[in-house]
Amino acid sequence: MTDATYEARVISFPGSRGLTAVRRTAASAASQQLSSIGAGAVDDWGRDPALVRATARLGRLRWNTLVGGQHHLPSQAGALIVVNNRRFALSAAFAAVALSESTGRPVRFVGRSDVAPLGALARRLGGLLERPDEVAGALRAGELVVMASAPELHPRRVGRVDHRLIGAAVATRTSVFPAALASSPWARSARIEIASSARPGRKRRGPLIELELADQVERRIGRLLAELGGAQTGTLLDWLPLSGMGAS
Amino acid sequence: MGSDLGSRVSTLLEAEPWVGRLLGVDVDPPRRRLRRAEFHLVSPTDHDRLVELITAFNPHIVVHIAVWEPFSRATPAVARQLTDEAATSILGAAAECRALESVIVRSGIEIYGRAHGAPTRPDESAELAPTCEYGRMQLDIERVAASIGARIGVTVGAIRSATVLGPHVPSPLGRVLRMPVVPFSVLADPPFAVVEDREAARAFVAAARRRLAEPVNVVANGAITALQAARRGRRVPLPLIGPEWVIARRLAGVFGAPVPDHILEALHRGRLADNSRMPELLGFRAESTTSEVVDKLYHWPSVVRTPARQQVA
Repeated sequence: MTDATYEARVISFPGSRGLTAVRRTAASAASQQLSSIGAGAVDDWGRDPALVRATARLGRLRWNTLVGGQHHLPSQAGALIVVNNRRFALSAAFAAVALSESTGRPVRFVGRSDVAPLGALARRLGGLLERPDEVAGALRAGELVVMASAPELHPRRVGRVDHRLIGAAVATRTSVFPAALASSPWARSARIEIASSARPGRKRRGPLIELELADQVERRIGRLLAELGGAQTGTLLDWLPLSGMGAS
Repeated sequence: MGSDLGSRVSTLLEAEPWVGRLLGVDVDPPRRRLRRAEFHLVSPTDHDRLVELITAFNPHIVVHIAVWEPFSRATPAVARQLTDEAATSILGAAAECRALESVIVRSGIEIYGRAHGAPTRPDESAELAPTCEYGRMQLDIERVAASIGARIGVTVGAIRSATVLGPHVPSPLGRVLRMPVVPFSVLADPPFAVVEDREAARAFVAAARRRLAEPVNVVANGAITALQAARRGRRVPLPLIGPEWVIARRLAGVFGAPVPDHILEALHRGRLADNSRMPELLGFRAESTTSEVVDKLYHWPSVVRTPARQQVA
């Protein structure tokens, strides 16, 4: 007696190949990636870890970001990271997402709008309002917070660092870390270099410490940018991993 | 003592070794069996009786929980009136008591307001700028209590709790989230936090025990959005943009879940608060997260109406 369905029951052949199969697999993978967004819970500040991970994955298609100096950051305590800001580059958000990936800790950024829908989206990505009390609350809770200096058109210039936000770190006795963000609108490579924490030169009892610390951070970011160096042509050559930033 | 939260606080206070006698007044009878507490059914408008009862009792500590959340047990107008009357008469009567040492009042995180640019997660030192009726009611209570405290020299503490959810708590937010279709703001879908009734009650008892002398935020950890809550509860999320909220609000009211302005504000602008001072001021941390409380909300059984076996009238 022969069993006609024996082979079909016992042996399973590889799935169908071809364009349809690839499309199905991709659709299934995409739905798996996106299913967690909106299903879970946001954290105390409204950051959605699933959305941040999805954004980071999407960002990797465009940017090849190298993060250096993250060993300076505390492993558990809060810290304020100050980055330079090229105009329209959304540097703080960019750095926060990249640092979240490299440190494995939730990293928030300062400077979200409070108007929906962009403000709501930025909050999901870890955005905080540009208010010293909001920043102080996050630092007190042991969070990593990225703030940007005032925007500059030239990528190697550092704008003013808001001393009120530095004051939030001073009030909560949190370390402030200068960080340089080197990126170009045309290049694929980006680099974030974090320096050791900035310490005030003199002991101050009043608010002068905020101003001095802000100035010091500004100077140190400038030095970091100068040290990063590397010619950027702004042409398609930057997309090739041959030399300079992002070279393997 | 008549509300579910009040009954729960009374039960916990009865178990405290430092509590001698316990007196409660409310317009509704207690929801739980109380063994030691003395209860009086008094309307907040009956000032003379309230003053007589409270001054005769001469308490060391007054825990004032008589705050009616709009559309929880009363319409917004009635809730406002009852809350004002209760605050004036109960706290006013307590001020006449010579033994009084401490006053604990119920407030809420609605007191911080959600205006544009307001802090996302205000701590206790944040500016008080309520933007809804319930928040203004809470601000009035805190002001009355603070002025009485300053005048007679007693400490005043305030429990600023998030929306209290519990199996028997009449909460407008709970009703909205348990509807088969849950509306959410598709453009914002902001996060909000809640607190379980068990932890809110524990906070009042801890505040009384420690003679809390300042405000403290009592909020569960974490946050959730309306869309996430609907998905967790397997409800149908209804995305709304703007004008249709008016219709959704009316429809919800028709179906037994009226939406007061503070809940509408939470669904549009979110409502969070910093609870990091709970361990320092109350001696305990929030154990449950907002997501867990919302999960429980969907698991609490609904009211089951059992018809009488025999019709007698």
